[in-house]
Amino acid sequence: MKTIKTISLAVAASLFGAAQLGLPQQAAADMNAPLGALGPPPVPPDNPMTPEKVELGKLLFFDTRLSGDASVACATCHEPTQGWGFSNDISRGYPGTLHWRNSQTLINSAYYGKLFWVGAAKSLEGQGPAAAKGAVAGNGESDMMEVRLSFIPEYRKRFREVFGDRWPKLSNAWKAIAAFERTLVQTDTPFDQYMRGDKDALDDQQKRGLALFQGKANCIECHNGPLLSDQKFYNLGVPRSVRWEEDGLAQISFRFEQYAKGVTQELYRTIKDDAGLYYRTKEKADMGKFRTASLRYTAYTAPYMHNGMLWDLFEVVEFYNDGGGENEFAANKTDLIKPLGLSDEEIEDLVAFLETLSGDEIKMTTPTLPPYAPLAAAE
Amino acid sequence: MTVSHKGWLLKRLAVVGALTISGTLAPFAGLSPSPASAAEPFGPVPAIEVDAKKAALGKRLFFDKRLSGDVAISCASCHIPEKGFGDGLALSKAYPGSEGFRNTPTLINTAHKAAWFHDGRLGTNLNDVTRETLTETYIMNMDMRLMQERLKQDPVYVAMFKDAGMGEPSNGGVRKLIPEYLKTLVSRNAPFDNGTMSDDAKLGFELFKGKAGCAACHSGPRFSDDRAHNLGVPENPDIWGDPRRHMTFVTYAIFMGVENYMNLRRDVGAHVRTHKSDGSDVGKFMTPTLRELKYTAPYMHNGMFATLDDVVVFYSKGGGGDPNRDQMLKPLGLSPQERRDLVAFLESLSGDPLTGPEHVWTEKIPVNYKPIENWVEVKN
Repeated sequence: MKTIKTISLAVAASLFGAAQLGLPQQAAADMNAPLGALGPPPVPPDNPMTPEKVELGKLLFFDTRLSGDASVACATCHEPTQGWGFSNDISRGYPGTLHWRNSQTLINSAYYGKLFWVGAAKSLEGQGPAAAKGAVAGNGESDMMEVRLSFIPEYRKRFREVFGDRWPKLSNAWKAIAAFERTLVQTDTPFDQYMRGDKDALDDQQKRGLALFQGKANCIECHNGPLLSDQKFYNLGVPRSVRWEEDGLAQISFRFEQYAKGVTQELYRTIKDDAGLYYRTKEKADMGKFRTASLRYTAYTAPYMHNGMLWDLFEVVEFYNDGGGENEFAANKTDLIKPLGLSDEEIEDLVAFLETLSGDEIKMTTPTLPPYAPLAAAE
Repeated sequence: MTVSHKGWLLKRLAVVGALTISGTLAPFAGLSPSPASAAEPFGPVPAIEVDAKKAALGKRLFFDKRLSGDVAISCASCHIPEKGFGDGLALSKAYPGSEGFRNTPTLINTAHKAAWFHDGRLGTNLNDVTRETLTETYIMNMDMRLMQERLKQDPVYVAMFKDAGMGEPSNGGVRKLIPEYLKTLVSRNAPFDNGTMSDDAKLGFELFKGKAGCAACHSGPRFSDDRAHNLGVPENPDIWGDPRRHMTFVTYAIFMGVENYMNLRRDVGAHVRTHKSDGSDVGKFMTPTLRELKYTAPYMHNGMFATLDDVVVFYSKGGGGDPNRDQMLKPLGLSPQERRDLVAFLESLSGDPLTGPEHVWTEKIPVNYKPIENWVEVKN
């Protein structure tokens, strides 16, 4: 019930052109975007929402045929029962591999300007294919994935209806999936109700936590605006993943990513941690920086951080209370985080507030997927 | 994300390379419309000198499933030693999620070929063939950058590469080493070569060279002219009736730049090399070797003939019904005894099976990876 209501609301809002949500792209440097209730997500003008498109996108989201060996769907690493992410520090990978970062929740991913931990994709439409083709994710090849869609009569019919495709176009599959993902939003958390004026939506402890969030703990410095993320990049000193010292598969993926992302030979030989934003900019000052994550839906998305090194919200708050951590990119660690001196009670209050940023769990059962069928010769 | 490393760009270059250099290196393998004017003499297939350490390393790679994207298959999954380095199926398997649309060719004597795959689409060398096979989405679907890191995680490979003078495990190394192993797969000790042919087989040889005209294309030590011909072999309906096979064909056709690929119900074959606008090159396939046929049934590019007698009957009738069928094919009017003699001769071209440790990696290959110790301190 909950799910259906949330989705249909989002679709309806989008259809009525409510794309102009009050989500500032960039807050002014020294002024944090105010907290607020979350409105409907933005919808790009070249991929308008329709119920039929969303329904097609849902099927495709769960369809393992959009991968190399037809065993991995979007939902494989973004599992509805695992917070629409993957409940381990590092995400599972393509069979025979391990991924190298934590799988992020898809809930509210529609609000990010860029996707992935370092903003490597410019849109949800660009995120899907990048994941489906990556060697440690979907390992799919575009021609093959597109041809598979053509051999599924139900998809031929739906792509024709939704996009006017004579044969299903893979680019439209990514659009349909993005449209579906724009329905995976949660705008009715206790926090949202509170921000909309229901002063009883938070209890006293949660209200104390909110005050700490905006005051002594200064979380709002980066976790601001209705999404509770400034979408900027910081090095918090999160320690390197323990996997890289302990797990052969993880070591393989770590080196592969350095190689695939085109670092220098020297760096490939010596680097021992995920350099984050550096892979996009190749600026040394960006080493170890990752995008501020939204704090919404975090009740369901443990463990936390880009490498899942913090296992619950208490660990997260204690990490900040200690002034962050240390990694090999210490020179780039943000000076925005300092030891906070929070008492045990204050830590509990802050966690209590963080829990108000999640509403009911968004559940969805895997749809029945349409089968392949032989393709009759042209009429 | 980057597909160029998965090979498509290189593949195109390789095809272009084949077209431009084949005039000087090979006798325009597979492209000439006329049969070889002077047939090569028959004889044993020459052995090829190899670097033993490199060949041994190539052998381990050939049998290692970690060289496929999801570590489900190795080269040897389809090129099975006991099946003459084919697979015994009419149509090959493929990478998980797909099924093949052609018969797996034997790899015995492959190092002597001038062009590879049934359509001859690679006319350069086994280095390119290795890359194509490893990276092709419906064959092994391997991102070679990831493969390289897998190999570097296995201390056995690290030691073997070093010992073979190949530095650390690398993509380029694999593309040299598997061909080095393939050079060891050479026919030997066939009755035809060692003078133990039966009388029937000897009679069959005379038919082969004479009345049956087989030698017009099946010439030289491998009994192949390395050219493509249209025999009118009937289509295999399993390709077009099984979506998993049909899809693989369409994916191939898109990549090879074949037009009207959704409506084709015909394997275009060597058309992918010549792309004639009138389609007269559709349905040509490379002349296969006739060696090791005992182990490699069923026959033809699509496995449509189960036995050698089926093949001989097909030729005796003058081939199939394609309008572009090679003009050399004429009804032969072979008697049942002549057909038996011809089959006896064909069987005499199969030698010792290459199933011993010289050709097969027998030690266990691990499927898991141990962590590199002291990882933080050592160089990657």
